[in-house]
Amino acid sequence: MRRLVVVLSAALLLGACGTAPDTPAQVSTDAKAVVQAEGKFNSTDVMYLQMMVAHHEQGLEMVRLAEKAAQRDEIKTLAQAVDATQSDEVAMMKEWLTEWKKPTTVDHAPSAHADHGGLPATGDEEIAALKKAKGAAFETAFLNLFVAHQHNAVEMAQLERKDGVNTEAKAFAERVKESRTDQIKQMLTLMNS
Amino acid sequence: MRRSIAYPLVALGAVGSTLAVTSPALAHGYVSAPPSRQALCASGAVKDCGAIQFEPQSVEAPKGQKSCNGGVAQWSVLADESRNWPAKAVGKNVTFTWVMTARHRTSNWEYFIGGKKVATVDGGNAQPDAVVTHNVDLSAFPGKQTVLAVWNIGDTANAFYSCIDLNVGGGAGDTPTTAPTTRPPATTPTTAPTTAPTTQPPTEPTTEPTTAAPTTAAPGGAAGEWAPGVAYKTGDEVTYQGKKYKCRQGHSSLRSWEPSIYTLALWLPL
Repeated sequence: MRRLVVVLSAALLLGACGTAPDTPAQVSTDAKAVVQAEGKFNSTDVMYLQMMVAHHEQGLEMVRLAEKAAQRDEIKTLAQAVDATQSDEVAMMKEWLTEWKKPTTVDHAPSAHADHGGLPATGDEEIAALKKAKGAAFETAFLNLFVAHQHNAVEMAQLERKDGVNTEAKAFAERVKESRTDQIKQMLTLMNS
Repeated sequence: MRRSIAYPLVALGAVGSTLAVTSPALAHGYVSAPPSRQALCASGAVKDCGAIQFEPQSVEAPKGQKSCNGGVAQWSVLADESRNWPAKAVGKNVTFTWVMTARHRTSNWEYFIGGKKVATVDGGNAQPDAVVTHNVDLSAFPGKQTVLAVWNIGDTANAFYSCIDLNVGGGAGDTPTTAPTTRPPATTPTTAPTTAPTTQPPTEPTTEPTTAAPTTAAPGGAAGEWAPGVAYKTGDEVTYQGKKYKCRQGHSSLRSWEPSIYTLALWLPL
C-alpha cells in the first residue's frame, strides 16, 4: 500500500556537520524524502493537497520574514524549523499531486469563495503589512498572524481526516494537526512572555 | 478605543465546489493577547483544560451571554474561578488582540468588567481581518479584573467569548505573583493524550551515543532519547526507536517532529 524511498544526496551528508544554531534554514532542499501516496484518492485528497501547497507557500513567505526581522532567538529558530519542514512538505505534496496527474495549484482566484465561508489564508496585503513592521511590533504581528495561519492549517487537516480517503494524505493531515497545534502552543507562549 | 492595526485578510477560498458543500462552519476567534483563558490553556500555561486547549477559537454561543464559557457546558473549565487564572500585568491602556480563523461579518466587539460594559467597537457588518486589535482604556478599573470580550457575529445569532484576567496598572514590567514569567521553549508542554509521550528522560544514560560528534556534541544535554518540548540545537544527537539521529536544524521539538522519514529537514539518520 505504501512505499518509502529515501534519497539522501551527497550534499546533505556533507552539509550536515554541526554548525551554529543560526544557520539559515536552507538545508531542506537537499533532502528528498520521496514518500509515495499510493492507493486510491478522492477529490477531498486532491483539494486538500492543492490548498495546502498554497497555504504552505504563504506560510514560508511569513517565516522567511521572521528569520530576518524577529529579535528573539526562539522566534528565529522556530521560523527556521518551520521553513525547513514545510519546504519539504511542499515538495512532497507536489510529488503526490503530480503522481496523481493533478495540478499542483488551485484553479480559482484566491478570493473566489471569501463570501461564503471559503477557507482563509494570509493574503498579500497582510504580508505587506508584516514587512513594514519593525522590532517588537514585528514579533507581535508575526506571531498573531502565524497563529491564525496555523489554526487554519489545523482546520483544513480536520477536513481531510474526515473526508479524505488516501492513507498517506490522511496521515499527513494528522501530522499537520499535531505539529501546528504544538507550534501554536509555542507561539502563544512567546507572544505573552 | 480605536481599531489600531488591521491586517487585511484575503481569503484563500481557492476551494472547489466540493469544499463549498462540505465545509464545516469555520468562523472562529479568540483573544490571544493579553492571553485569554483559552489561550492560557492552548499555550499550556494552565494545565488540564480539556479539549479547549486544541480549539481555543471555538467558544461560540448565542449572543448576550455573560460567562467566560458562553454558557457552553463543554467549555465550563473557562468559567471555573477555582483554577486561579494568572492575571497579566498591564498598563491602564490595554491592547487586546483577536486571532480570527475565519472571516465572519461582524456586528461589533464588546468588552465587559463585572457585568458592566467598558467598550464597544463597531464591526460595520464587515468581514474582519485575520488579526484584529483594539485599544481599551481601563484606567477606571485598577487592580485585578476579569475582562469578558465578546465578538458578535453580524449574520448569525451567535457570538464568540473570551475572558482575560488582568492586573490593570500592574505595569508592563511589574510581575504580579501569578503571572507566568518563565521562558517558554525549554518547558515540557502538556501534550495531547493521544500519541504524545508525556515524560521525557533527556538524561537517559543507557543510549548515550558512542561515536562522538565531530564538532558539537549535544552541548545542551539533549543527548539521549528524543522527547517533545526540548530545545534541540544543530548537532545534538538523539535516539528514537532504537536509531540514532543528529539534529540538522535547531528547533523546539513537538509532536510529529520526532525523527522520521518525514522530518529529514530536522533530523539526519546516523
